[in-house]
Amino acid sequence: MNGEPLTILLVEDNPDHAELVMRNMEDFQVANTINLVEDGEAALDYLHGRGAYADRKQFPMPHLMLLDLRLPKVDGLEVLKQVKSDAYLRALPVIILTTSDAERDLAMSHEFHANSYVTKPVNFDEFSKLLKDLGFYWLAWNKKPW
Amino acid sequence: MNLQFKMPFGETGRHFIRQAALLLVSMVIVAVVLNYAISAFFIKDAEEKIHNVLLSHRGLHQYIQKVMHPEFYKARDQGDIAANYYSPEIFSSSFIVRVDHGLYNKERIKAGLPEIYYKMASSNPRNPVNKADESEASLIRMFNEDRKVKEYRSIVTIDGQKYLYYAIPFIETNKGCLKCHGKREDAPSGLQALYPGEGGFNEKAGVFRAIESIRMPISQEISTAFILTCSVSVGLAALLLLFFFNTRLKSLVKAKTATLEKEVDERKKREADLEIKNAELERFTYTVSHDLKSPIITIKGFTGSLEKDLANGNYGRMSGDLKRVSDAADKMDDLLRDLLELSTIGRIIHSPESVDMNQLVHDVLAQLSGPLKNNAINVTVQSDLPTVICDRQRMVEVVQNLVENAIRYRGDQFDPQIHFGVRLDEDTQVFFVEDNGIGIDEKYHHVIFGLFNKLDTKRDGTGIGLALVKRIIEVHGGKVWVESEGVDKGSRFCFTVGQK
Repeated sequence: MNGEPLTILLVEDNPDHAELVMRNMEDFQVANTINLVEDGEAALDYLHGRGAYADRKQFPMPHLMLLDLRLPKVDGLEVLKQVKSDAYLRALPVIILTTSDAERDLAMSHEFHANSYVTKPVNFDEFSKLLKDLGFYWLAWNKKPW
Repeated sequence: MNLQFKMPFGETGRHFIRQAALLLVSMVIVAVVLNYAISAFFIKDAEEKIHNVLLSHRGLHQYIQKVMHPEFYKARDQGDIAANYYSPEIFSSSFIVRVDHGLYNKERIKAGLPEIYYKMASSNPRNPVNKADESEASLIRMFNEDRKVKEYRSIVTIDGQKYLYYAIPFIETNKGCLKCHGKREDAPSGLQALYPGEGGFNEKAGVFRAIESIRMPISQEISTAFILTCSVSVGLAALLLLFFFNTRLKSLVKAKTATLEKEVDERKKREADLEIKNAELERFTYTVSHDLKSPIITIKGFTGSLEKDLANGNYGRMSGDLKRVSDAADKMDDLLRDLLELSTIGRIIHSPESVDMNQLVHDVLAQLSGPLKNNAINVTVQSDLPTVICDRQRMVEVVQNLVENAIRYRGDQFDPQIHFGVRLDEDTQVFFVEDNGIGIDEKYHHVIFGLFNKLDTKRDGTGIGLALVKRIIEVHGGKVWVESEGVDKGSRFCFTVGQK
């Protein structure tokens, strides 16, 4: 932690789950900013700085993306595929954070080069611990791409 | 009692037997005709040989009578030969020809050829060797009685040997003949001395005194004809059979190929259907597990958070969190109810009936009159909607869901409109619910029919409505789709009702 502001892009269509993630992240103070978008299209617009997300000051390039899979408009896997096939964006660590433990989702996520794949634990304490560990590893230990 | 006999060969088998029988019969006919033709050829050939023999005998007779006799009489008149001299060896043409034929047969045997029987058969011969047998005597009678008959021909079997038998009457007795064959006392004295009996005498002019009876063995020829017939027939049969079986094999292969192709097509179609069903099922399971798990995570997450807050005396956000928990439980209840509903569609379809769509749409709109009135929505319905065959209750659900969607997604339209109508697309009746609401981007036209898919997560509803509509319409054998020019351009949900 060298004082630079760290941003997480949270892509989650379920507002309750988004609230749970943000609440835990804030508790551990691993990130300065968590920006939430609710569908795949918005996530891509954000990453490309398009449309409503053109202002990089308000919507800075994230250092980590937490991506749900089942999303309105553009599916999570499609978002992942597009990010990882973009020469610049592919450096962004993408953590799949989903309720799905379907084998196909896991396989497809790896196929599209997800950096990590975790399922949302039902147990609240585990949920907290997961987010804490994720935050520390990817934002503190991990060398950031930009 | 209705007894059904099973044919041992089946339909194609019977056809086969019919064809084979036809082939066999035609082969037999061909063989008979062929054998007849070949035999006729050989018989004709044998006949020619017989003619040759007879002609050559005639020649000899002529020579003796026309050349030797005048010469002999001249020599006798000149006194070179005694007046009463007679010798059959140099005077009787029948004697000479008979002896000549005997010598000819000897030569034939030497040459390895079968003998040719020849006889100048007479009922009243001078020499007993010329005595006609029974059948020859009857032939002489026949030729004398029926002058139209010029020759007699038949194939006879003697001691197992086949012969071509041929007979023609010998030259009619004339005055010249009567010199030797008339009254005994008129005949040359040498002749009288040589033949003491009455044989050969007392003949009359204008009568056939004898026949030339000749028969030639044709067993060799007949067996050759038979062998020839057999070999040609067998060869022909083999060719025909080959052709027949080839044709048959071809048609069999063709039929089998067609059947197999059909089977493969059917199987492919079944596999494709199954694949679609599997994919649907997989997607369904996935959706259900994902969407049902979601509220559980919410409930467990916020109860955990509540516990923590309670322990820390942090009461500020408790009521909000409790509401989240409660809402999540409600959501789960909704999901379960919808799922149950969806799963019953395939099974519980009431028997189709004739449904007047005017009445049905009227009923649905009456049911939704509350929300329609509250939102000041102007509803119009095309008059004279057709009658369709469908499960009435399910069709109500379809129309209801589509109208509810139109209400829900009216947007901030100042003058919201909903229209129910029908149009004809290439002979197919297409019903539609049209609105001037928020519209749908073309790229989501498919997605919206998926289970629990919602474009806007903030709207109420589980996202099952269109999945339900799709399922009901598909069970009815119809199709459902959306037409919208894009966001804020309104939507038109169309569906057809198949004749399922």
